[in-house]
Amino acid sequence: MSSGFARQDNQQVYVLHTYPFKETSLVVELFSRQFGRIAAVAKGARRPRAAMRGMLQAFQPLAASWSGKSELRLLHGVEWRGGMHLLHGQALICGFYLNELILRLLPREDPHEVLFEHYEAALVQLANARQLEQILRRFEKRLLQELGYALPLEHEADSALPVEANREYDYVPERGPVPRGEAQSGVQLRGKTLLDMARDDYSDALTLQQSKLLMRALISHYLGNRPLHTRQLLIDLQQL
Amino acid sequence: MQGPATLEQLIEALRCLPGVGPKSAQRMAYHLLQRDRAGARHLALSLDRALEHIRHCLKCNNFSESEICHLCASGKRNPQQLCVVEMPTDLMLLEQTQAYSGMYFVLMGRLSPLDGIGPRDIHLDRLLARAQDGEVQEVILATNYTVEGEATAHYVGELLKARNIKVSRIARGLPMGGEIEHVDIGTLAQALIERRTLN
Ligand SMILES: [Zn+2]
Repeated sequence: MSSGFARQDNQQVYVLHTYPFKETSLVVELFSRQFGRIAAVAKGARRPRAAMRGMLQAFQPLAASWSGKSELRLLHGVEWRGGMHLLHGQALICGFYLNELILRLLPREDPHEVLFEHYEAALVQLANARQLEQILRRFEKRLLQELGYALPLEHEADSALPVEANREYDYVPERGPVPRGEAQSGVQLRGKTLLDMARDDYSDALTLQQSKLLMRALISHYLGNRPLHTRQLLIDLQQL
Repeated sequence: MQGPATLEQLIEALRCLPGVGPKSAQRMAYHLLQRDRAGARHLALSLDRALEHIRHCLKCNNFSESEICHLCASGKRNPQQLCVVEMPTDLMLLEQTQAYSGMYFVLMGRLSPLDGIGPRDIHLDRLLARAQDGEVQEVILATNYTVEGEATAHYVGELLKARNIKVSRIARGLPMGGEIEHVDIGTLAQALIERRTLN
């Protein structure tokens, strides 16, 4: 799919982030269903009575029109698509975390319709504000999957033998689970955690704890040196 | 074209203003030097004086000429209520309502997780000390209803609740005289979701 068309109307999008541009404008980082991550200028959007001013908020289902095919498109307008994900409190901070993950890991101009649907589903779940950790784990797994870093969870890294629930493993990034004692490094976890993650079942407290450490290590691995701002904020909140 | 060094310096200096690029800075400099030299002199003096005399009020963190600002020192305000706002302009608007007679705390910003603006950047240590002065009974969070303002309200709220301080958030919904037919969809959706029981 190419983004070569000059003008696009009524495109399903979410705002990931905005920042000031020139005297009265905004640069809007959008996640669109059809075109993936794109950036657009909202001209005059910082003027007091600008029509787009209150609309360009993260987490809201919007329909956008833009033109241009350069790195920075021109945003003509946004409208509500109906439905609203009101994220409160901790769920809101989790929403920022999802946005930061997408901004940092998803390259621009790369369509990811399946990921868009996972993102939308995660926002709906966050708006219900239950089991936030599980929502994050599921999204992280799918994000890595869609980016081409699918996690081997049910088979050992080298031998491809099935993972056993009662066995201990070291999970090595870009390789997978290695039976304890055979790898020099990796995240320590038990087989059950991996099998639970494969089924998106986080009802076991130890699974929740170990999967969190695993995903943190994997995401850090793919992010490189710059840590996530929102992770620091989540840590700060836990220490209040 | 390269002008005199002092002119270049002035143009460069004007660029410290938010949203002012090289073109605007040049226009401003020419205007000040060509059309309004008295205004320019006045601006220079005012800047100089403000820099010397304006500081942050020790109690509310707003701009002030004295250690404690007029509002905080007036003695006519209710010391049991403390209203937290993002910016001085927000405080001024709340004052115009004449619906609030408590004290304030001005954060001079907001949390912006994706820009790396965290709790350390918005004076929360001072707010915490202020809210625990022994007189404050309720902290009212009047940050913006943007996602950043909401994140700020959540963080400040958690911070204060962990210390057993009563916290409230300003309400949102239909505007004054708002007719449902003419209100934007987002506001209407929020008003529905955050409806209140009549009693
Ligand atoms: Zn004061």
